[in-house]
Amino acid sequence: MLRKALSITVLALAAALPVSGTATELRVGFTTDALTLDPGNHRNRDTETIIRNLYDGLLTRNSKMNIVPELAESWKQVDPVTYDFTLRSGVTFHDGSLMTADDVVFTFQRLTLEGALDGKTSPRKDLVGPVKSITKVDDRTVRFTLKEPWPILPAMLPVQEVVSKAFTEKAGPQGLATQANGTGPFKLVEWRKGDTVIMERHDSYYGGATDIPPVGKACVERVIFRVIPENASRVAALLAGEVDIINELPPYDMKKVEANGKTRVMKVNGTRTFFVALNTSKKPFDDLRVRKAANMAVDRALIIDRVLLGTAVPLNGVMSPDAFGFNSDLPAYQFDVAAAKKLLAEAGYPDGVDVTLDAEGPFKDVVGAIAGMLSKAGIRAKVNISETSTLQAKWAPAGEKTGDMMFTSWGNGSLDPSDIFVPTLRTGGRGNRAFYSNKEVDALLDSADVELDQTKRANLYKKAQTIVNGEAPWIFMWLPQDIYGVSKRVSGWEPSADSRINLHDVCVK
Amino acid sequence: MNAAALSVAPEKPTRSPTWESLRRFVADRFSLLAAIVVALFILMAIFAPWLAPHDPDENDLLRRLQPAAWMEGGEWSYLLGCDGLGRDILSRIIYGARVSIAIGVVVVLIATAVGTALGLAAGYMRGWVDILVSRVIDILLGFPYLIFAIALMAMMGPGLENIILALVYKEWVVPARVVRGEVLAAREMEYVEAARAVGAPRLHIMVREILPNILSPVIVVSTIRMAHVIILEASLSFLGLGVQPPTASWGSMVADGRAFILDAWWASTFPGIAILLLVLSINVASQGLRDAFDPKFSD
Amino acid sequence: MNVLALVGRTAQLLPVLLGVSVIVFVMMALTPGDPVEVMLSGQQVPPEQVQAMRHDMGLDRPPLERFAVFLGNALTGDFGLSFFHRRPVTDVIAERLPATIELTLAALLIALAVSIPLGVLAAVHKNRFIDRLAAIGSLFGISLPGFWFGIIMIMIFAVHMQVLPVSGRMDYACEVAPITRLMTIDSLLRGRPDCFSNALSHIILPALTLALPMAAVLTRVQRAAMLEVLRSDYIVFAHAKGISRRRVLWRHALKNALVPTVTVAAMETGSLLGGNMVVETVFGWPGLGRLVVESIFVRNYPLIQAAVLFYAVTYVLLNFVADLLYTMLNPRVRL
Repeated sequence: MLRKALSITVLALAAALPVSGTATELRVGFTTDALTLDPGNHRNRDTETIIRNLYDGLLTRNSKMNIVPELAESWKQVDPVTYDFTLRSGVTFHDGSLMTADDVVFTFQRLTLEGALDGKTSPRKDLVGPVKSITKVDDRTVRFTLKEPWPILPAMLPVQEVVSKAFTEKAGPQGLATQANGTGPFKLVEWRKGDTVIMERHDSYYGGATDIPPVGKACVERVIFRVIPENASRVAALLAGEVDIINELPPYDMKKVEANGKTRVMKVNGTRTFFVALNTSKKPFDDLRVRKAANMAVDRALIIDRVLLGTAVPLNGVMSPDAFGFNSDLPAYQFDVAAAKKLLAEAGYPDGVDVTLDAEGPFKDVVGAIAGMLSKAGIRAKVNISETSTLQAKWAPAGEKTGDMMFTSWGNGSLDPSDIFVPTLRTGGRGNRAFYSNKEVDALLDSADVELDQTKRANLYKKAQTIVNGEAPWIFMWLPQDIYGVSKRVSGWEPSADSRINLHDVCVK
Repeated sequence: MNAAALSVAPEKPTRSPTWESLRRFVADRFSLLAAIVVALFILMAIFAPWLAPHDPDENDLLRRLQPAAWMEGGEWSYLLGCDGLGRDILSRIIYGARVSIAIGVVVVLIATAVGTALGLAAGYMRGWVDILVSRVIDILLGFPYLIFAIALMAMMGPGLENIILALVYKEWVVPARVVRGEVLAAREMEYVEAARAVGAPRLHIMVREILPNILSPVIVVSTIRMAHVIILEASLSFLGLGVQPPTASWGSMVADGRAFILDAWWASTFPGIAILLLVLSINVASQGLRDAFDPKFSD
Repeated sequence: MNVLALVGRTAQLLPVLLGVSVIVFVMMALTPGDPVEVMLSGQQVPPEQVQAMRHDMGLDRPPLERFAVFLGNALTGDFGLSFFHRRPVTDVIAERLPATIELTLAALLIALAVSIPLGVLAAVHKNRFIDRLAAIGSLFGISLPGFWFGIIMIMIFAVHMQVLPVSGRMDYACEVAPITRLMTIDSLLRGRPDCFSNALSHIILPALTLALPMAAVLTRVQRAAMLEVLRSDYIVFAHAKGISRRRVLWRHALKNALVPTVTVAAMETGSLLGGNMVVETVFGWPGLGRLVVESIFVRNYPLIQAAVLFYAVTYVLLNFVADLLYTMLNPRVRL
């Protein structure tokens, strides 16, 4: 026993000695591993965050979420359905070969043609829009022709990355899944699945988007993504100096990170709108008064303050304040239990009403608080925690619509309303959990979808937001901030609303 | 787990009268103490509403993660501190005993009943019944327990009854194997052959002759399994597949508290201690029970 | 004899595997939720593409046909593509398996290293202090909820004392070219003691957490077996012949008393392999258990099917190994 205890101590000492690292390197503590390294064969934001450091796209976003050219030098919209992209010259892949228009055409055909991935279709197909054809005009120009107008094409292109035609064909159908030959600022060194992705600087990098200084090769020599799913472990790793940046810092640990002296908290408004969907197709939430009462019964400010520790922006509508066409004039439903009770009584529920509040496990805390508040106003909410897939089945738009209310959220990475408004609130939308249907809203959304004049388009959305605010198909909640813990040795990095962690510009001391 | 079952399976029926066994059990001070602790937990579960100082589900965001009473910022009326929603941890532990004990008892009772019946039938009747039961047992043993339970929970959805079902579906295998083995040995015994010789009906032999003689290993195995089942339920709850919130379950309390271990260690430490204490007591008591019923193993 | 036994076991394996596949398949068919919906997480996607995705996953075919296709392909070793990784399921499992195997072996090693000497000592000093200690220790061992114990260990050693890493398998700075894909062994084979100690420092806590219940069980088994051996005639005879007590104990008695321990250890290894998803979750260990649990949540059917089959095969094989060991080590028993 004694010998064992002794050897453990020795071990511990050995572990405390750092394993020799030489190059300047940046380590990211990240919640999940990539599913694959093939940029065209996944549908997962975290996977893309990792891949985006190996691969560049035609366009990208700066940290203010503006679209800027990256591998493209410029682009122009020829007519509502035609876009021309002029490519940068002299861009090389990691293997040294030159990126050409053929590679770009190949990339997007791989994404959009049926069965292009070894007989299967890319799950990212729709993210490129209603493409009719993608063709090479000349060595430096690629033309996208659409079947119908789709004004958000440029806004969606930053989520696609360009692959090498020759490499992909040589590597075979599964080759890109575990190997990478991108044009990005970092090259893949090793992927230890489930554990670590190790990258090193691509020294002949073309420099990256000219609109996002600094331009040139990456500042750090090595980049490591370490997969640490446990929140507490990720924070501990940051505090111990094992990693330099962590994502999804739990609000509760912010104080600790700030107090540490070597680390700090960085926040950015996320793009995910949280709300409680109210089933408008059945009692009691088919009645506008009950829906309004529900909105008045919840003290959002208290929850944001106490549970989220101030890391969320209250919303009165669908969209993020950063999104295109955000309507800042929407009135808030004031927290007022008495008024809520009165409305409930008017709607025929003087003794209150029993309902179920569905939610997923990670939101247990918040939902518990919401249910408590609703109950105090007479909407006695019983919390039902289920898995995502089970809830999706229960709340499917084509399903039996048996639920009462569901705490849920909707991501809007493009910050364009068409990506959140249409799916969640247009009649029959795939994510229309409230089963909300309003002809006027539908019409506004449909015309906005094809409107090319951006001011007019914004106004259409603003009008739709006003209607939805008044009809309260949801209890409007908040837009959480993405919270990162960052070591003070890191400079040149800012969190971005699309939750990407692009490390090209980051330096470490 | 197999080993526990294996090591308690005696080779021949024990004939020691029950009162003699109980006397031995009571004489073993450790086991007696453990049994008393288990009894206290059961009483705590039954009288939870009178014992708990607070409503276990009452949120109070202002008391979020309030430390235990003896720490700075603690309060004696919230002895073990508060969790992430400001709920009293002590009250939740007291109520959580209901879930753990109810599931432990009900799962083991059903599993033992089902398993004993099937094991008895398989062991005594042999033939296709035995082949069928043994095959099903083989197949179920091929599944890792927790994965099987998780998949079943995904299929059936959350809820107390579903946890019980999810565990029973595999748990019955344990008593069934023990009983089958015992019966195989017993059917060659004189008393069984004697009964057969006088033309006693099969059911009579199985239920009246064999069953009473193999009951003590079954009881011993059941109590040991109860400890396992309680840990399994806690593990399921820990993985987020347990009872519905806000209902308190020790496993989910540990899971919830884990998010705060960097500062609020009390949130997951105390419910864990509760699990350990109950399971340990059951194990000690059941070991005492085993020794008492089956002195062959008492060394 | 052993060949025959092996053939017999293999024949037994087939119905078990078939039964396991049927159960998994039925369970999956009855489980609400749709992998395509999970993948799209409700995003607005044109129906044709949803249809194409369902087709790619084979979900547009009736369940029975899907099962037939699965069985047919499985016989040729093709378990299909993981819905989410979109890579062959066998690849995805093979990537995670070494971590699980390494953890399991480490736990097994710890359990044996603790339980054999402890069991022997307890038997020799029956009813004395060390025996009591061993008894109490094993009671704690089987009563500790692994997930909680793991958290407490992290809290003490990784967070407060900061002597062990919080999670993971090996420092990324250790680049050890894979041979066995077990990090500890590979770093030794490649002559990197620094990496070895690093890998060891990562594995020690999860392995310990996993080992405890097994060590508890094995200690009891070892003690019981040793007691039995010590009572047997030949040991009494050896004593009488004047062979030193030490020699009798550690050479003659232990050899025979090891049989049940090793057998039980082989059997328990099966449940260890399938039972470590909790430990993997707590310690962020990149193993198979965590992957399977995640796969159940996202309805990644092909992966679940293949992984469960893998567990069933190892379980049956390990039991076979246990039987084999029992016969080999113990000439009195015949299969």
